[in-house]
Amino acid sequence: MGETVAGIVANPASGRDIRRLVAQASVFPTAEKANMVQRLLAAFAVTGLDRALVSTDLGGISAAVLKALGRGGSWPTVDFCDDDPLTGTAADTTNAVRRMVEAGAGVIVVLGGDGTARVAAAACEDVPILALSTGTNNAFPQMREATVAGLAAGLIASGQVDPDLVTHRVSVLEVVTKARREIALVDVCVSSSRHIGARVLWDPASLTELYCTFAEPDGIGLSSVPGQLCPSPRSSPDGVALQLGPVDETPYVVHAPIAPGLVRPVGVRGWGVLTPGMRVELAASGGVIALDGERELELKTGESAFVELKPDGPWVVDVRAAMAEAARKGLLRTETEQGKERRR
Amino acid sequence: MTDTLREAYRVMRTIRAFEERVHDEFATGEIPGFLHLYAGEEASAAGVCAHLDDRDAVASTRRGHGHCIAKGVDVKAMMAEIYGRKTGSCHGKGGSMHIADLSKGMLGANGIIGGGPPLICGTALAAKQQNTGGVGVAFFGDGAGNRGTTLEALNLAAVWDLPALFIAENNGYAEATSSTWSVASDNIADRAAGFGVPGVIVDGFDFFAVHEAAGEAVERARDGGGPTLIEIKFTRHYGHFAGDRQTYRAGETADTRENIDCLTRFRERVTDSGELPGQVFDDIDAEIAKLIEDAVSEAKAAPKPTKEDLETDVYVSY
Repeated sequence: MGETVAGIVANPASGRDIRRLVAQASVFPTAEKANMVQRLLAAFAVTGLDRALVSTDLGGISAAVLKALGRGGSWPTVDFCDDDPLTGTAADTTNAVRRMVEAGAGVIVVLGGDGTARVAAAACEDVPILALSTGTNNAFPQMREATVAGLAAGLIASGQVDPDLVTHRVSVLEVVTKARREIALVDVCVSSSRHIGARVLWDPASLTELYCTFAEPDGIGLSSVPGQLCPSPRSSPDGVALQLGPVDETPYVVHAPIAPGLVRPVGVRGWGVLTPGMRVELAASGGVIALDGERELELKTGESAFVELKPDGPWVVDVRAAMAEAARKGLLRTETEQGKERRR
Repeated sequence: MTDTLREAYRVMRTIRAFEERVHDEFATGEIPGFLHLYAGEEASAAGVCAHLDDRDAVASTRRGHGHCIAKGVDVKAMMAEIYGRKTGSCHGKGGSMHIADLSKGMLGANGIIGGGPPLICGTALAAKQQNTGGVGVAFFGDGAGNRGTTLEALNLAAVWDLPALFIAENNGYAEATSSTWSVASDNIADRAAGFGVPGVIVDGFDFFAVHEAAGEAVERARDGGGPTLIEIKFTRHYGHFAGDRQTYRAGETADTRENIDCLTRFRERVTDSGELPGQVFDDIDAEIAKLIEDAVSEAKAAPKPTKEDLETDVYVSY
C-alpha cells in the first residue's frame, strides 16, 4: 500500500443559525471545532496514517490547527487544502472534499451539521465519510467523541480495517428543479413560505409535504414526525412520504422534536412508502424546498420540481463496527514481555 | 406582505441612492468633514428597522446614514446636515458622523467606536422600567466588537435582562484591519454564549435572512426574553471613508462585490416569485432619484449656521 491519506473537513459556519434564538439550540464555537480536528489528528497518528488533508476556512479553524502544528506534536503529516480560493459558502466544503478524493483519501471526516454532511456527500464519490456533529439538528451526523472517530477513520484509511466490513451505502433523496439538482441525506420538505430567509425551518405551520430516507422514533428534526407515526429504519431501502397540513384540518397530529428545544404539533393528512426509483412531483410551485431542515431552493412561479429516493448515496463509516473489528484483530493492542511470559 | 416588500425596497433604494450621491458630491469638495458610506449594507438597516416603531431607540455607528434612513429620519434634513446647513437634522452642527433625531428614536451616528451599545442599555432599561414594550438596538461594527464598551454593555444587558438587540455589522474590516485577523473568536456571535445571550449569524446580502432573525429577536425582547446578538456578515461597496483607495482589499474585486448586491438579489427574488412586478421597482427607483435630487438642491440652497448660532444647542435637554 502506498501513502495512506485521510481528510478532515470542518465547516466554520455550522451551529450558528437562528435556532439559537428561537429554540435554545446548542452553541458550537470555533475553538471547539479546532480542538476536535486536533483530537482527530492525534488519533490518526496512533493508527500510523501517513498524511492528513485538512480543509481551510476563514472562520479560524484551520488557523488554530496551523498554530498548534507550529507547537509540534505527534501527528501525521498535515497538509491544508488551500489550492481553491475560499468563498465563505458551501462551495468551500465541495472543493475541499474533491481535493481529498483526488489525493486518494481512504476516509473523509466531516465536522458540521446535516447541511455540511449533505454537501460533502454530494462530492465524496466512493470515499467513505464519517460525519461528526457540530451543527444543530444532526439527524445524520453522529454526536461522538472525535478521538474514537479518529481511531476508526485512521484504521480504515491506513488499510488495517477493511472498509467493506465497516461501511455501508446510504440512500439519498434527489431533488431536481429546472435549474438545480441537489441531494438530501435525511429529509426533503416543501414549505409554503416564499423565501429562504434565515434558512432553517422552525415553524411547522408552513409545511405541506415531507419525504424522508429513514424515520427513527428517537430522531431529531423533521424525520421525527414519521419517526413517531410510521417509523422506517435506516437499514430499509424504502423511505416515507407524508402529506402535512394545519393541525385543525388533519386526522393526525404528531408532537415532534423538529429542532432542539422545539417540540411542535405537526398536522399529518396521510403517509405512504417512498420506494427507490419512484419520482414524485412536488406541489411546490412558488414555494420553498428545504433539504435536511434548511430552506435551500426558492421556486419561481410555475417552476416544477420532483424528488426521487436513490439507493446510491455515499458510503458511511460505522464507527462502532470499525472499533469492534479493531478489537477482534487486536489492532490497538500490543503484547509486552510480561504478557508473553504469562501466556507461556 | 406586498406593502412590507415595497417598503423594504424603498428603504434600501433610498439608502443606496443617498450614499451614491453623497459619494459623488464629496468628490466636488463641497461637503465638509468625513463620510463613511453604508452602500452594500442596506439589508441590515432595512431588515432590522422594519420591526421597529416609535417606542424603540437605535444607536448607530459612524457609518450611520443607513440606520438613520431606515429609522425614519427625514432624508432632506440628513442631506442638509451633511452639507452643514441650518436646515439639517442637527442644525448643521453635527455633520455626517453625528446625525441624530430623538423624535424618531435615532440616538445618533457615533464617532466613538463602541459608543452605541452602552447607550441602548439606557434606553432599554427605561423601556423596561416604564413598561413601554420598546426595545433598544445598537448597531456596531467588527472593530467595535473588540471594544470593552460593547462587551460591558452585553454583560449589563444580560444581567438586567434588557429588551436590547446588539447588531454586529461585520463588513470584514475595521478601517483597514481584517476581522479575520483581529477578532479572536472569528465570529462575533460566538461571544454571546459567554454572556448567556443567544448569538446568531445571518447573511447580510439577504434581506429576508436579516428580517426573519431580527423579527424573532425583537419579539423575544418585547416579550421580556432579554437581549440577542445578531452578527450580520457582508461587505461594504466603498472604502472605510469616502476616498479610501482600499489597497488592503486587493484580493477582492469590485465586480465580485456587485454580484452579491442585496438590492439586486431582493428585486430578482421578489419578481421571480411573482410577489411584485418589475414596474413597482422602477417606479420606486424614479421616486427616490427625485427625492435625492431635491434633497441635494435644497441643501445647497439652505443657509449655513451663523456666528450667532455658536452658543445655541450646546446642551440638549431630553
